[in-house]
Amino acid sequence: MNGWTGNILRVNLSAKSFKKETFTEEFAQKWVGGRGFAVKTLYDELKPGIDPLGPENKLIVALGPISGIPAPNTGKAVVAAKSPLTGFYGDGNLGTRAAEHLRKAGYDMLIVEGAADRPTMLYIEDDKVEFIPADEVWGKGTFACNEWIYAKYGKGVGVLNIGQGGENLNRVAVIRSLEGRAGGRPGIGAVMGSKKLKAIVVKGTRPIPQADPAGMKAAGFGDLRKVGQIDKETGWSIQSTTGVLPFCNEVGGLPVRNFRKTHHPLAWQVDGERCNNARIATYGCPTCTMRCGVTVRDAEGHESELDYENVALLGPNLEIFDIPQMASLNYLCDDYGLDTMSTGCILSFYADAIDHGAVAGDFKFGDAERAKELLRMAAHREGKIGNLLAEGSLRMAREFGHGSEAYAMQVKGLEVAAYNCKFIPGQALAFGVAAIGAHHREAWIITFEIRNTTRESYGPEKAAKVIELQRIRGGLFEFIVSCRFPWIENGWPLENYPKYFNLATGLNWGLEDMWTVADRIYSMIKLHFLREFPKASREDDYPPRVWFDPANADTEGPIAGKVLELDKYDGLLQHYYDQRGYDRRGIPTKATLLSLGLQAEAAAVEPYATLSD
Amino acid sequence: MKVLVKVIGPLIYKTGFSEKDLDLPPRTTVAELVTIIGIPADRPRITTRNGKAVLPEDEIEEGDKIAVSPIYSGG
Repeated sequence: MNGWTGNILRVNLSAKSFKKETFTEEFAQKWVGGRGFAVKTLYDELKPGIDPLGPENKLIVALGPISGIPAPNTGKAVVAAKSPLTGFYGDGNLGTRAAEHLRKAGYDMLIVEGAADRPTMLYIEDDKVEFIPADEVWGKGTFACNEWIYAKYGKGVGVLNIGQGGENLNRVAVIRSLEGRAGGRPGIGAVMGSKKLKAIVVKGTRPIPQADPAGMKAAGFGDLRKVGQIDKETGWSIQSTTGVLPFCNEVGGLPVRNFRKTHHPLAWQVDGERCNNARIATYGCPTCTMRCGVTVRDAEGHESELDYENVALLGPNLEIFDIPQMASLNYLCDDYGLDTMSTGCILSFYADAIDHGAVAGDFKFGDAERAKELLRMAAHREGKIGNLLAEGSLRMAREFGHGSEAYAMQVKGLEVAAYNCKFIPGQALAFGVAAIGAHHREAWIITFEIRNTTRESYGPEKAAKVIELQRIRGGLFEFIVSCRFPWIENGWPLENYPKYFNLATGLNWGLEDMWTVADRIYSMIKLHFLREFPKASREDDYPPRVWFDPANADTEGPIAGKVLELDKYDGLLQHYYDQRGYDRRGIPTKATLLSLGLQAEAAAVEPYATLSD
Repeated sequence: MKVLVKVIGPLIYKTGFSEKDLDLPPRTTVAELVTIIGIPADRPRITTRNGKAVLPEDEIEEGDKIAVSPIYSGG
């Protein structure tokens, strides 16, 4: 089988055992890799209702057929498990040398089962698997853990690790790699921590099977150079994603003060120009020629690698407009292994809830020093407040009551990324129907919405755009596994990706074939959701209710007096369901599942919930 | 007529500024402004007036705040 190694490494931490398994070509072509492999495996192997932080949960690292092959920008891996934050399938991707090394070790997927009885590091080198005590670094941050690993094995190995957040089962803990890479927003780092697995280290030495290695090499290296040249022409990576902040501020889309405001006169102090001016280093993922990690010095002197999401949510959203202070919060998230986005939303929600009298407390917007202290407490689950903050904003709101759930900025439990959709209906839909909760990675249509349609529209064209982008961003790039940035930020033609896929696999697929796989994956994630939540309803796909509240409308600026309208949003949601072939609950119909070849998967959900014809 | 022009992202390295008050002839269009500030006409962009998208042929008015941005795609 070209393109895939055909192997899975299954490790059981309870038994300290491992085995190499194979998968069929049919499985490979139906699910391709990455998110596809993860969603299918977790659906088949996890019983509904298991504790995501118990040994029954499984942690998956999944690669795709072009992972680790030099081509734009393939140094990424998907990490997945049942999420302790949202209660159903959760995943994320991150740049890591582990992608290339796992493939060179001979695997397309790693499944970690059970739980160790003491802190453990998993060391994988080709066919060898070792369970190494990690007591020495348990309780330490991800940076110190990295140094410990590098001292043992050198800097070239692939590393996935967790910080204190994951160890202490903080529900927004992520998995980390390299200097500033993180993935698994819905608490996948906590799943790793629940297994007492501090780190996974991988070294692979064998060639990755490819149908046309010479063709792949020529196309891959040549295209890496071309992407780098295009980036030099556009200048995109000078500011990278931080450049978008002033755009959001200009159009009333910036999260400020727990998303209460959509713009702020001081936002320029943390914009892309200032972040670039403060830059002391640049980091990036393996096989990347448009590195996006704008790195600055934080208030305590650490290197802190920024992108737009963490700048906006740990900066303006907390009313912090000072780069070193905002960078300190970002550094602490990285070191503790916490998701910067969710953490920003959790802290802002806490300040907002105090402001609105839902809970007593001493944290105020703009107080960076107290934010740092709270972040440390959350990572360590220290005291009542630390434990509360470690639960995520939805659980906090349910604890606080007083209507605070309306302004807990989350969908399905996952906190909203850094785009304020108070009056951006299509992007609100994109968050509402994002597969794993309010993630920005799957569809981002704000520029389209503002430039190509009217902002006021709740029409089918916006639902169609969300689906188009879900297929590309949440589908293609997550299952062949590579970074979407060359395409999305610098216009690298999408047609190149089937080309790489075909060179690797020897198949002859086009983009339409990719969309079928993407739709299959989206339907599978919905089945996961339904099996865990048999009372699923369309309201699960509504964004935070504060966006519909006229009392929350801006009093000045480009969207003064405007908020989303609930009945119109519901109509937009229906356009999405209709185009997707989903029923009124937002669940794929039997006919849709049949058309995607998911008969067996549909049958597996029926003991728990009904499907529509 | 006086207008405030804001340039966003890497476009500032084309124009040499990120925010400036400009004195423009009456009835200057958005497309003309973009050329005046040194952004190549074929460079993909979105332009807003007081936070709302405008077309290249739209005329600028006294006191407008015009922002010129690359086509961002949300990371």
